[in-house]
Amino acid sequence: MVRILLACSSGMSTSLLVQKMEAEAKERGLDAEIWAVAQDKAPEDMKKADVLLIGPQMRFMKKKFAVTADEVGIPLDIIDPVSYGRVDGKAVLDKALELIENN
Amino acid sequence: MDKFMEMLENVLMPIAEKLNNNRYLSALRNGFMVALPLIIFGSIFVVIANLPFLDRVLSEEGYAAYQNALGPASAATLSIMGLFVIIGIGYKMVEGRGGEAIYGGVVAIASFLVLTPQVLEETSGVIPTSSLGAQGMFLGIFTAFISAELYQLFVRKNLTIKMPDGVPSAVSRSFSALIPVTLTLTIFLAVRVLFSFTGFETVQNFIYTLVQQPLTALGSGLPATLVAVLLIQVFWFFGLHGQIIVNSVFDPIWYSLNDENLAAFQSGEELPHIVTKQFIDTFIVGIGGSGMTLSVIFVIFIVAKSRQMRELGKLGGPSGIFNVNEPLIFGLPIIMNPLVLIPWLLAPVVVAAVTYFAMSTGFAPRPAGVIVPWTTPALLSGYLATGNNLMGAVMQLINMAIVFVIWLPFIKLLDKQYYGEELTAAEPA
Repeated sequence: MVRILLACSSGMSTSLLVQKMEAEAKERGLDAEIWAVAQDKAPEDMKKADVLLIGPQMRFMKKKFAVTADEVGIPLDIIDPVSYGRVDGKAVLDKALELIENN
Repeated sequence: MDKFMEMLENVLMPIAEKLNNNRYLSALRNGFMVALPLIIFGSIFVVIANLPFLDRVLSEEGYAAYQNALGPASAATLSIMGLFVIIGIGYKMVEGRGGEAIYGGVVAIASFLVLTPQVLEETSGVIPTSSLGAQGMFLGIFTAFISAELYQLFVRKNLTIKMPDGVPSAVSRSFSALIPVTLTLTIFLAVRVLFSFTGFETVQNFIYTLVQQPLTALGSGLPATLVAVLLIQVFWFFGLHGQIIVNSVFDPIWYSLNDENLAAFQSGEELPHIVTKQFIDTFIVGIGGSGMTLSVIFVIFIVAKSRQMRELGKLGGPSGIFNVNEPLIFGLPIIMNPLVLIPWLLAPVVVAAVTYFAMSTGFAPRPAGVIVPWTTPALLSGYLATGNNLMGAVMQLINMAIVFVIWLPFIKLLDKQYYGEELTAAEPA
């Protein structure tokens, strides 16, 4: 079971990506819980996640989130803008799994 | 060009970081978030209370009774939104410092009430609702910041009442909030007393005249609005969420203006302001998202030949109706794309100016103070935001047409480029 958390300003545009990522995970037969939250809820939800991905438009949050991510011991990164624009569930899922693996 | 872009990004990134992550500004943003469900609840009932044609269907008495019955819904929420913002800020400030947040909320509201004159004309023992709404907004925000900080400071100083041995520890803990709250409120009481000796008489007056009025006067004007709109676009051009960054500074102003319009709308007076929260959210941003990209999607559907563009239109269309446009911003792409810089910056500025003049001449109705959730589709949002006025939707339609015309040549150009690339790629080598 992998738990992937996405965060942006209000969790709207990242939730678009969540749908695509869930579909991709299902196709691969991967047991995954993927969800999107607004920036204020992210620190709390990080405790329940294996990885945090930040929408590129909120990339200025990375430094602040990195502190909490470090405390709970999960990796985080900014979603690549091109994959974000294409709502590319496959690429972002790969990225999330890679981050978890290398943690 | 790349060097210059990089340089600009290096300037904007820290600004975005500072504005978004600043403790006070993020408590302010979260404070408004706490109030938002209540604000929207109140707005829904303003809309229902002012449904069209009802005044013609019902008798004059019946219509008045109907409006009176629904009145408390907005009077208890939207009209006194300052109250909830203050509690939210106080709560979030103390929460951010790792303290017992609920005390932050109550100490903020108590401090604000200590400073608020509890008298209305001849009647004493009342709290004028106007001071809990637009008029007290700035005082409330400052009070919440300062009281929460003071409370947390006194908590950290660890000033507690020492109980003799044998007193259960739960008893002394129950006093843990007592001293910080007492000290904080005493300070605010002293401030109130001091101000009563000045020409301003109340702190409320002082902040309102010296801070709130000048700031809202500036914020309600066209120049400041154009600057705000332009800043949103510039931040987004670098892929930074411009709306959230600019809002953290402008929201107190825009919400105060909004509440003043609501008060006028409900008492049937002429609406004092053009620029309000809803002017920005409904007429500038609320047409597909920042940059009013719903029109850009229409342009794509009508003229685009390249596969890349057509795919993007399909991807960005459904979410664009609900004003979520990240797929388009990152997919077209708009970010860092010099080809679309001109329409991206120009369109919202032109639209803001046109809407402003249309509203000042009375061609289009001014926002009535109703807060419409930002995900509400265009046309519907324009109708609701102007107090159920079809001309509000017409204004949005005009704005969409303006954006369409400004973007048309640029999308054609970009599409031609993509189409050419696709043809070359398809050719057998």
